[in-house]
Amino acid sequence: MANIESLLHGFTIAITFPHLFLMVIGVLLGILVGVLPGLGAPNGVSLLLPLTFGMQPVSAIILLSSMYWGALFGGSVTSILFNIPGEPSSVATTFDGYPMARDGRPSTALATAFGSAAFGALVGVVLITLLASWVAQVALAFGPAEYFAVYFLAFASFVGVGGTPPIKTLVSLAIGFAIAAIGIDTVSGSVRLTMGIDELVKGVNFVVAVMGLFGIGELLLAVEEEFHVKAVSSKVDWGEVGKTLIGLPRYGWTLLRSAAIGCWMGITPGGPTAASFMSYGIAKRLSRNREKFGYGAPEGIIAPETADHSAGTSALLPMLSLGIPGSATAAVMMGGLMIWGLNPGPMLFIDQKDFVWGLIASMYVSNIVAVVLVLLTVPIFAALMRIPFYIIAPLIFIICTVGAYSVSNSYLDVLLMFGFGVVGYLFKKTSYPLAPLVLAIVIGDKAEDAFRQAMLMSKGSLGIFFSNALVTCLVLGGFAFLLLPLVFRARRPREQDSMLDTHES
Amino acid sequence: MISQRAVELTAAALAGIFGMAVVVSSLDNGIGWSESGVDAGTFPFLIGIVIALGSAYNFARGVLLTYEIAVTAPALRRVAGLFIPAAIYIAAIPTLGMYVASGCYMFASLGLQKKQSIVRTVILSIATPVALYWVFERLFVVSLPHGALFAIFGL
Repeated sequence: MANIESLLHGFTIAITFPHLFLMVIGVLLGILVGVLPGLGAPNGVSLLLPLTFGMQPVSAIILLSSMYWGALFGGSVTSILFNIPGEPSSVATTFDGYPMARDGRPSTALATAFGSAAFGALVGVVLITLLASWVAQVALAFGPAEYFAVYFLAFASFVGVGGTPPIKTLVSLAIGFAIAAIGIDTVSGSVRLTMGIDELVKGVNFVVAVMGLFGIGELLLAVEEEFHVKAVSSKVDWGEVGKTLIGLPRYGWTLLRSAAIGCWMGITPGGPTAASFMSYGIAKRLSRNREKFGYGAPEGIIAPETADHSAGTSALLPMLSLGIPGSATAAVMMGGLMIWGLNPGPMLFIDQKDFVWGLIASMYVSNIVAVVLVLLTVPIFAALMRIPFYIIAPLIFIICTVGAYSVSNSYLDVLLMFGFGVVGYLFKKTSYPLAPLVLAIVIGDKAEDAFRQAMLMSKGSLGIFFSNALVTCLVLGGFAFLLLPLVFRARRPREQDSMLDTHES
Repeated sequence: MISQRAVELTAAALAGIFGMAVVVSSLDNGIGWSESGVDAGTFPFLIGIVIALGSAYNFARGVLLTYEIAVTAPALRRVAGLFIPAAIYIAAIPTLGMYVASGCYMFASLGLQKKQSIVRTVILSIATPVALYWVFERLFVVSLPHGALFAIFGL
């Protein structure tokens, strides 16, 4: 197996002292942003991004991806101990994690969460190991038309299965595309959509957008909801942890099903948040002891945590092999790849073998590092939550401001970030999804270029998108996703009773 | 108190205005097909149309909403309590510079707004800019704006 050989080579890159050190730093910073409400994985990674410009790409990606894993774990800590989701994707963990911890079993709750999270991550990485280079090989044969079709499919699946109102998702996506178009057009060289502001010629950096949309937006939401920290004991009982971990295989079926849901949602750009909710819902529907859900059922922790982490991990598969990120954080990392001078997509597997397999191998190692570190540091980070939020809030605001400024030493970026923050708050209040917006900012230009190159090849005929079986399937699949909400709506009257049932209980 | 309808309508209206601005602005680049392929304005033009039409739909949906509270009065006060000082902070950066502005912002938020003890306030207000200076200027050699105030003193 060539994959296994490449993976072993990857381990020789990942398991070196400097890289292990970067993993520890990345995971710790990740847990920090995961624990703090208002700072999440997408803007944590974008804050760190400017600091990686001087690094080797493989070291930089190991640092950033470790931060991502850390943030996924950190989000669960506050969900379980404080009933405050540190990350949107760990909201579903609060449903059963907090009740279990409150009933005097915080160690069991934490160990269940971390154990199933590690399992989910493992499934995601194994999937990447086995499939990524195969997908890349297929994608090597892609022309511009096929690429546009894949982008189209990805964006359409957001509208179809994103779980937010479809027209709002569409508007959110389109706004992202429009923002991506601001500045110099890569094909014709003409300046577009600057609206009379000369400095916008350089375009709007996605880091600035992420910092505002996720950072400031979440911060405003967090002060609005004014939570009272009612922590349960954060002491970790190691005997209990061991017993729980050994007992986890009893829930094998839930683990496998949740991992499958997570992988699917991660590869298609549904993202970890949608995955964890979906997995929780399905686990509840299929469980034999449904009445225990919401009062500390172990399945209620296993299902969202496994799906969350397998989605977060497998989101890197399409990013590496196709150049299409599967989540907002993966989009930020892909932006980083482009800044480091790498071209995300199938060519990576030929030109940058060390980078790709170093990253994949590091995912095995850093997830283990993350589980160990998060268990060891639970008391420390729990203590951090006792700092009053009115001290943390202005600090986070200052960090985001400085972060936005340092992207390109521009005050305009600070103003833009603030504007994006207001938009982020407004969109959160009105359930416009933010992930598609960020995704469109990062890959909008590439999608447009693919479209225009395809049109050049066909001399202006849309027929090129139906010129062979592959591209026709992709395009039709995209349209099917777009029409999905209409199908659901037509079916809804019959399903209304059962829908209400799941929400009420 | 702010109703969900008002929030929905504001979001839809802002998005719609942005969409129309994109449409108008893209006309400058030319839309349609020319010798060099698809014109630069075509894609933004179509995108702008999608935003405008989608927002019109969302606006109409918003009008039909039944009354529901989106933000209660105390919640709004808390949001304003973060938002207004933050806006002043950002506006002050070009004059005061990042360091002085950050220090003042911490001082104002903790000392004046939240009535923290003077010792705690002063320590945090000084520690913040010092930490920024150390991390950015020293560790990563990124220069943050020192501001017009410092320029007068020739720093």
